[in-house]
Amino acid sequence: MLYPSQFDVIVIGGGHAGTEAALASARIGLKTLLLTHNIETLGQMSCNPSIGGIGKGHLVKEVDALGGAMAAATDEAGIQFRILNSSKGPAVRATRAQADRVLYRQAIRGRLENQPNLWLFQQAVDDLILERDRVVGVVTQLGLRFQAKAVVLTAGTFLAGLVHVGQSNYQAGRAGDPPSITLAQRLREIQLPVKRFKTGTPPRIDGRSLDYSVMVEQPGDDPAPAFSFLGSSAQHPRQLPCWITQTNLHTHDIIRGGLDRSPLYTGVIEGVGPRYCPSIEDKIMRFSGKDSHQIFVEPEGLNTHEIYPNGISTSLPFDVQVELVRSIQGFENAHITRPGYAIEYDFFDPLGLKHSLETKGIQGLFFAGQINGTTGYEEAAAQGILAGINAGLLAQGKEAWYPSRDQAYLGVMVDDLITRGVVEPYRMFTSRAEYRLMLREDNADLRLTEAGRMLGVVDDVRWQNFVEKREAIAREQERLKSVWVNPKLLPQDDAERVLGKGIEREYSLLDLLRRPDVSYRDLLTLPGAGVGVEDSKVAEQVEIQAKYQGYIARQQEEVARHQHYEAMVLPLSLDYREVHGLSIEVQQKLNQHKPETLGQAGRISGVTPAAISVLLVYLKRGQSISDDKKSA
Amino acid sequence: MVNTDTIAAIATAHGRGGIGVVRISGEDLRDFSLNILGRIPAPRVAALTNFLAVDGEVIDQGIALYFPAPHSYTGQDVLELQGHGGDAVMHRLLARCLELAARPAEPGEFTQRAFLNDKMDLAQAESVADLIDAATIEAAKTAMRSLRGEFSRTIHQLVDALTSLRMLVEATLDFPEEEIDFLEESNALNQLAAIDSQLDKVFRQANQGSLLREGLHIVLIGQPNVGKSSLLNQLAGEEVAIVTPVAGTTRDAIRQHIEIEGVALHFIDTAGLRDTDDEVEEIGIARTWSAIQQANVALLLIDAAQGIVPADLEIIAKLPAGLPLLRVFNKVDLLGEEPRVDASGGVADIYLSAKTGAGIELLHEHLLRVVGWQTGGEGVFMARERHLSALRVAKERLSLAAACKGRVEFFAEELRLAQNALSSITGEFTSDDLLGEIFSRFCIGK
Ligand SMILES: Cc1cc2nc3c(=O)[nH]c(=O)nc-3n(C[C@H](O)[C@H](O)[C@H](O)COP(=O)(O)OP(=O)(O)OC[C@H]3O[C@@H](n4cnc5c(N)ncnc54)[C@H](O)[C@@H]3O)c2cc1C
Ligand SMILES: Nc1nc2c(ncn2[C@@H]2O[C@H](COP(=O)(O)OP(=O)(O)O)[C@@H](O)[C@H]2O)c(=O)[nH]1
Ligand SMILES: [Mg+2]
Repeated sequence: MLYPSQFDVIVIGGGHAGTEAALASARIGLKTLLLTHNIETLGQMSCNPSIGGIGKGHLVKEVDALGGAMAAATDEAGIQFRILNSSKGPAVRATRAQADRVLYRQAIRGRLENQPNLWLFQQAVDDLILERDRVVGVVTQLGLRFQAKAVVLTAGTFLAGLVHVGQSNYQAGRAGDPPSITLAQRLREIQLPVKRFKTGTPPRIDGRSLDYSVMVEQPGDDPAPAFSFLGSSAQHPRQLPCWITQTNLHTHDIIRGGLDRSPLYTGVIEGVGPRYCPSIEDKIMRFSGKDSHQIFVEPEGLNTHEIYPNGISTSLPFDVQVELVRSIQGFENAHITRPGYAIEYDFFDPLGLKHSLETKGIQGLFFAGQINGTTGYEEAAAQGILAGINAGLLAQGKEAWYPSRDQAYLGVMVDDLITRGVVEPYRMFTSRAEYRLMLREDNADLRLTEAGRMLGVVDDVRWQNFVEKREAIAREQERLKSVWVNPKLLPQDDAERVLGKGIEREYSLLDLLRRPDVSYRDLLTLPGAGVGVEDSKVAEQVEIQAKYQGYIARQQEEVARHQHYEAMVLPLSLDYREVHGLSIEVQQKLNQHKPETLGQAGRISGVTPAAISVLLVYLKRGQSISDDKKSA
Repeated sequence: MVNTDTIAAIATAHGRGGIGVVRISGEDLRDFSLNILGRIPAPRVAALTNFLAVDGEVIDQGIALYFPAPHSYTGQDVLELQGHGGDAVMHRLLARCLELAARPAEPGEFTQRAFLNDKMDLAQAESVADLIDAATIEAAKTAMRSLRGEFSRTIHQLVDALTSLRMLVEATLDFPEEEIDFLEESNALNQLAAIDSQLDKVFRQANQGSLLREGLHIVLIGQPNVGKSSLLNQLAGEEVAIVTPVAGTTRDAIRQHIEIEGVALHFIDTAGLRDTDDEVEEIGIARTWSAIQQANVALLLIDAAQGIVPADLEIIAKLPAGLPLLRVFNKVDLLGEEPRVDASGGVADIYLSAKTGAGIELLHEHLLRVVGWQTGGEGVFMARERHLSALRVAKERLSLAAACKGRVEFFAEELRLAQNALSSITGEFTSDDLLGEIFSRFCIGK
């Protein structure tokens, strides 16, 4: 049956990528359909019940700055909040929250159900409807046909998913959910570049069977930070601590003893797993010198006894899992509620994507989330919102939008994915961002909300709040610039208290704030400093911008140096074998990657500065030829 | 417009020609001119002027030609400095330009700029691409080849040390929940200090007997008539020393200067080092010994038919400890042998004929290798200068890093910039490489 009404955008998959994509497209005002296996699992966290962390928290704040749901949902569902790296500088500080799984799902589902322009429908998608090289709709398991101008695929770990526990394995999307087999087959048939990755999860445990008295308590921050720009800790439900314990030599012996039945070590699992999220068997084999590994004992929620033992992801046979869990301090009587497992799944080589996350091969088809070779809810959500926005833009016949590497972690991630490809599941780290000092959690709104407003994904409430904050920052900066501190009028003890020592000439308050050891609040206690701003977010921004100013100015220069190349577009149709003067190796690389801009070409490994020069000459030539044609 | 940085290169061919030209192209060369000429020359008029070192010392006197944009070869401001020939002077002049923040031009880069700034027609574009292409292949070949020996080993150690420090810093920032305190454990500041002193060592090495300004000092040892003058003539490619079959002809000449591949070689002749009562000769002898203290290498020339004689050994015994010794067996043509390098004794002995010139290239190569350079390719000087300018930037960044006490993200930023600078020597180093190092060294992740 052909569904009677047409959609602008169809999103397949109700995970973290899919929900943000659908919400974004609907916020723009486009008629959007979210198709997913099961409405009950919308916003389901497949693995650990936690959102944020270094690099990931940055992504969440960026999604938030674009009006996305993840941060706000976490504020409603978070049962422990912490700022990581709080002793280090603002650029590397990041928010992390434990979330109650059920509350989180509810928060996401509530947003989806109440979003105007968004329709939900529970059905597995089995096929895409293609018209030559363009997608025009999808077909579900029941044979229902839905039409749309753009389709966003966010199937997560479900495509040809294969779950392993010891030597047994079965097809599934994740434990308890069906896999996507038909769709995976169809996607292989239309020759999208498919590869396999693997990931894993630890067994879950009944918290009542644990002895917390031998573990170290890890409380959340007090006061708890809010995740969303519009959020507050008043929204947070009851807060809980986490606990820390560790493995021991006996645990390691048990694991070694089980390796002959491990799907990882007997070669049954072929997909590559993430190195920073290794299984416990991997940790023990690769770092045999370590006598113990840390385990974070995390509550799964307020109304459940289940806990998540973070650090012992495993696909060992269940009998080994039981033994190894019970060898851990405090876990002697542990009862496992769900076995740990590994899952192998299809993903698509992200080299086949544009910056907009549209596939290069099929017009109107966008990919987001785990299927692009990433791992993590935050990575998925960030790609989801980008794909949703661009699917919406495409449906309106508008140009694509994407943030640059100096504008957002989202920009870094997408550029990394589509320029360098992936050899293992991609997770965000701050070291991936060369402009790290500019890309902070605290300025995500300043970096992206204006763009989000233009794109139509930022609503009036957020926009109003944002504009007020931005203006307050500017006002206070102006004020600090214009208030001068005269050395003759500054009492010695005030100078020492606030500045450490007297000043030798006149300084503006803003100059003084640039000094590493001078805080905004202290500065305002100087006589004549006037009244500062109340809003701690505004004060924070004024202070950080002053302290970072020198570094930021330099990074901006670096950005400006590269900007020119970022703006030079390379046609996707260009066959690099025709570019005279490129080495064969570089020709092959470029033909494989098909970069969108000269800047992107320069980031492909093996493409030398000389090759960029050759391309520059080539582009310039093309331009002169077309100029000639125009004038002729 | 693209390519807004300033580039400089020697525009004339290697050798000892009458005049040499250094060409500079950049967006705005007025400050540059003020620095190197003391004034801004009138556009397109040949002006006789001094070329000045940073301390105001005159490097050379010559003609300066200034072509303000857009009426120039590249379409940018172009400055041409015509000086007095010799490669050593040209190199000094170029080094001065680099000091003024110009960067060594890639081969073909002036032409490329000309093309991009519409100074050339379409037909010429192909040749530009060819030029760049040729340069790429050449550069790739040269880059690593030119970097061998002690100098390169130190540079690679340096890069490794920096990478490992960065790895710790980045791990500290990205993995705060691990049990390891990466920085504490490794004593980052000490590591930084070690890298810094390593860098100093590289600079000392690089400037040792400064190839550029002073050239290579070589003690020439050999009995009368073994062929010392002939050898110098061969090396220089033209008559500089007097060759005669009468023993003692060159006795009074303490130094001979020649150039190979743009590096000045100063030969300190030990022919005069005999016992004497003559006062004038004694002064000469004292001078020779003090010159020997500054030497980079000793070259012992031996008549292949005779072998080493006791008088040679006496002089060798008095040379400064650790001075590398290169043994050259001459007149192989008389023995009917082929020139060769014989490394069987642990040190490389060179067999050649100073008269026919056979094997002279072996000596070239070995002399330059003594100071860490391989001959061939884009020329010793440019390759070396490129590395040094990268090292200079790195050093600046490291000292800024040292000043970032306690502010790890700034510390990390300076290290990143230092590594960026070094990437021109080592090739690009990506964040993936860095993460790879972290994951292979530490057990990270939950
Ligand atoms: C076992 C396991 C362990 C993991 N471990 C970690 C970890 O340790 N750390 C970490 O950061 N991340 C981990 N992850 C990854 C994390 O869960 C994912 O990165 C994240 O959920 C990806 O989001 P997504 O939106 O791309 O896909 P998912 O969250 O997987 O969502 C996919 C959605 O698409 C739906 N769907 C799929 N196919 C179809 C179809 N044909 N028709 C209709 N609907 C469809 C599914 O029902 C589901 O709702 C793990 C995942 C699993 C399964
Ligand atoms: N056959 C031959 N004769 C040489 C060679 N090198 C030098 N001679 C001759 O040896 C004589 C002495 O050379 P000279 O260079 O003046 O020796 P010096 O006294 O060490 O400077 C001259 O007649 C040269 O022509 C050589 O390699 N082969
Ligand atoms: Mg002689």
